[in-house]
Amino acid sequence: MGAFAVVLLIMTTAVLDRPTRYPGVGVDSDVMSVDLNEETEAARRTRFERDAMQYVDQLYSAAMRMTRNPQDAEDLVQEAYTKAYSAFHQYKPGTNLKAWLYRILTNTYINIYRKRQRQPQQANTDTVEDWQMAQAAEHTSSGLRSAEAEALDHLPDNDVKQALQQIPEEFRLAVYFSDVEGFAYKEIAEILNIPIGTVMSRLHRGRKLLRGLLSDYARERGFNRGEGSQG
Amino acid sequence: MGTENCKDCETTAEAAQRLERIYAYLDGVLSRNDISEVQSHLDACPECASDYDLECVIRSAVRRSCAEQAPEALKLTIIERISQIKIEARH
Repeated sequence: MGAFAVVLLIMTTAVLDRPTRYPGVGVDSDVMSVDLNEETEAARRTRFERDAMQYVDQLYSAAMRMTRNPQDAEDLVQEAYTKAYSAFHQYKPGTNLKAWLYRILTNTYINIYRKRQRQPQQANTDTVEDWQMAQAAEHTSSGLRSAEAEALDHLPDNDVKQALQQIPEEFRLAVYFSDVEGFAYKEIAEILNIPIGTVMSRLHRGRKLLRGLLSDYARERGFNRGEGSQG
Repeated sequence: MGTENCKDCETTAEAAQRLERIYAYLDGVLSRNDISEVQSHLDACPECASDYDLECVIRSAVRRSCAEQAPEALKLTIIERISQIKIEARH
């Protein structure tokens, strides 16, 4: 992994030292030692590997949606798992482990990658999005629905991924967590650390944007042209 | 425009609200009463029914497209890093 991994490691250490807003994500060495008394390291590690490692593919897919490239996605997942293991004593068995891991993944992403990008928060998404919303609304009222559904069903994976990638991040993640991972509003609210009402409005806008973009892709590929595919 | 919108969905605003209901319906957050209300609406309104279909297709397309497999090497690296944490935590 080379220099990049080393840099990440240093950054992670810094992140871990800072108190975080997410319960269970920060590492508190006092708490850790208390919990280690109840469970041997080996047992804890076995439990982690058994319960948490099964989500690697899913976390990697989510990381791909966040970082947009395989190498960064790998590093992000690796980082998230390292943090998750370090904080595993704070995870309450019986609660939603997948959601817990996603929260750590998202938190890691926000702490490391967003900062690295040095972009101001996407404060102007509202304005950017208005014309896109108008476009999406236009699609909604354009009829020919079953042909459109047929077309979208046959869109290549890459088109779908690209459409998703074009949605502003805050909407994209909400849509991804809900429609791909099947998280409930409340879980998404916890993962993203936002109120449920915000989750719902992000979902609504994100889905509309996605719908509009997918229609565009279908149209570009000429799927919607003919009145053909009606069954 | 001017296709087969039912009375309830004549204006764009009403249709948009219906779409919101469809999202909520698919998300599984409606009460039993609301669910049957949406269902009977879907039976009566072709426009909303195809919106519903479209949304289902979109969700399955996104799910299908985003199902990626983490590289085997990544899993091994994670396991290895975790074992290092164990050693660090000892002292």
